[in-house]
Amino acid sequence: MKEPIQKKWIWVGFVLLILFNAPWYLPEGMIEPYILGIPFWALISVGLSLILCAYLSWLCMTQWNLIEDEEEEEFEKERRQS
Amino acid sequence: MELQFGGTDALIILGAYAVLMIVIGWIAGRGKKLGKSVGEYYLAGRNLGFITLFFTLYATQYSGNTIVGYAPTAYREGFSWLQSIPFMTAIIGVYLIFAPRLYVIAKRAKFVTPTDWISYRFESKRVTIVAILLMLWGLGNYLLEQLVAIGHAVSGLTAGAIPYGYAVIGFIIVMLIYEWLGGMRAVAVTDVLQGIILLVGIFVVLIGALALAGGSLSGVSETIAATEPQKIGVPDLQTNINWISMILLAGIGAAVYPHAVQRIYSAKSERTLKRSFARMAWMPPITTGLVLVVGIICIVLYPGMDTWQSEQVIGILANDIAAMHPFYYWMMIIFFGGIVGAIISTADSVLLSFSSMVSHDIYGKYINPNATDERKVKVGKFVGIVVVFLLLWIAWNPPGTLYQIFVLKFELLIQVAPCFLLGLYWKRLRATPVFWGMVIGATIAGVMTLTGNNTLYGIHGGIIGLIANFVVCVIGSLMMPVSEDYKKHIHTKTSIHDNGVQM
Repeated sequence: MKEPIQKKWIWVGFVLLILFNAPWYLPEGMIEPYILGIPFWALISVGLSLILCAYLSWLCMTQWNLIEDEEEEEFEKERRQS
Repeated sequence: MELQFGGTDALIILGAYAVLMIVIGWIAGRGKKLGKSVGEYYLAGRNLGFITLFFTLYATQYSGNTIVGYAPTAYREGFSWLQSIPFMTAIIGVYLIFAPRLYVIAKRAKFVTPTDWISYRFESKRVTIVAILLMLWGLGNYLLEQLVAIGHAVSGLTAGAIPYGYAVIGFIIVMLIYEWLGGMRAVAVTDVLQGIILLVGIFVVLIGALALAGGSLSGVSETIAATEPQKIGVPDLQTNINWISMILLAGIGAAVYPHAVQRIYSAKSERTLKRSFARMAWMPPITTGLVLVVGIICIVLYPGMDTWQSEQVIGILANDIAAMHPFYYWMMIIFFGGIVGAIISTADSVLLSFSSMVSHDIYGKYINPNATDERKVKVGKFVGIVVVFLLLWIAWNPPGTLYQIFVLKFELLIQVAPCFLLGLYWKRLRATPVFWGMVIGATIAGVMTLTGNNTLYGIHGGIIGLIANFVVCVIGSLMMPVSEDYKKHIHTKTSIHDNGVQM
């Protein structure tokens, strides 16, 4: 049985990804260098946003299982009966 | 928005679209005993599969405002509107806090509305009533926003052939018909169609905007850096704080929206729910992310617009794209059809949720506790009409920019969050502090907004109210004596194991 709320590391990761999404740690007004025509700071932010997407998606699939097995077993039984 | 490319062609597309939605609603509800059960009518029999659940989550969370409101914001704020990607993604993170357990309890206790959880957990009339008022306020405001937007989008698309007022009334009638015919099933199945059109629309307008800008983003960045460097440089500290505050506000607010919570109840299984969320986590980059790129390109294409002018920027862009080639002309009609669909797909979910809360919570719990499900569904349908036309009356005087209303509705709604985030796991949490927490949080958020101080050092009033709300909940509960029996009672109710506790 897996429940995301029970695992502290999940929330440490979530808070860090949100906290560093805004570029407060870089000097105000910084534009260059450009990478692929986009300011580097914006690229970092986009990168962190994509990591957040991947992280949450992965958490949903691997760290959440409360009654799934029970439910799927029941569905399987129903399928066989019908 | 006066669109020159629309007119009769758009009229045909919109007409076909309206008929298609009614047919889908009819098919979705055919043969089901919708009027006889609140679970069937409001939650699609708690049996939504992966594809429908995913698209109904998508089309409901992303409305027409995602394009019509966010592109102008990107135009005005520049690259700092990158925040629109993580704030939509954070919703899934907040879901992960409460949805897994709420799903299990809701299936067992057969919840229909979010209020069912609140009255089940706190057993307090005043907590339930304040929560209902906050949620209805948020929903009402959200629905109002959608109604205003439908009128603008349709009258713009048809170049005024369908005037604003007729557009709103026409599409409301279409929405009510398919909702009555198929309930939540109709809403969810039409969401599949509306979600797909919205996605296609965003890709098409991005391609068009890129073509207009000469096909490359590097030129765009350099031009902005030369003309409006404040839109491309690292933002100041206050904007950065506001960025994080917005992630929290939207992430928590959108996750505890009543219609969002009801989608947790509607899932066929835990597997379906978590798979849908896992895919939803990837939608912000290809939805709000692409809209951001469109808004940024517009900074170069249409420099120097003020706030009011920039609100029209998507219409102006669509006109210019449509003028390039007949292919783009038709693509822009589909794009605006997608916007209309996105607005309706959000409005129908909000309306259904609103009706369910009035009929099941207010009428079914307090006015006529002995009412049958059939009666409640009838009351819900009637309430739907009254609410829509009441809001319509308000909609004739639409408020300022769309983004401001968007923030406003979250400020109060978000105050119910402790009921879910703390209530599910902390057994000591008591009804009295929860009640005062919501009242104090909502008052702080409301006063800040009404006095024109939406933010303090970049932090939204809703978040400041929510912090106060959490503090009151925690300190108040710790100060109240709690018996072992009470803790055991709450433990039984909130456990994932079936202890035979029902509503």
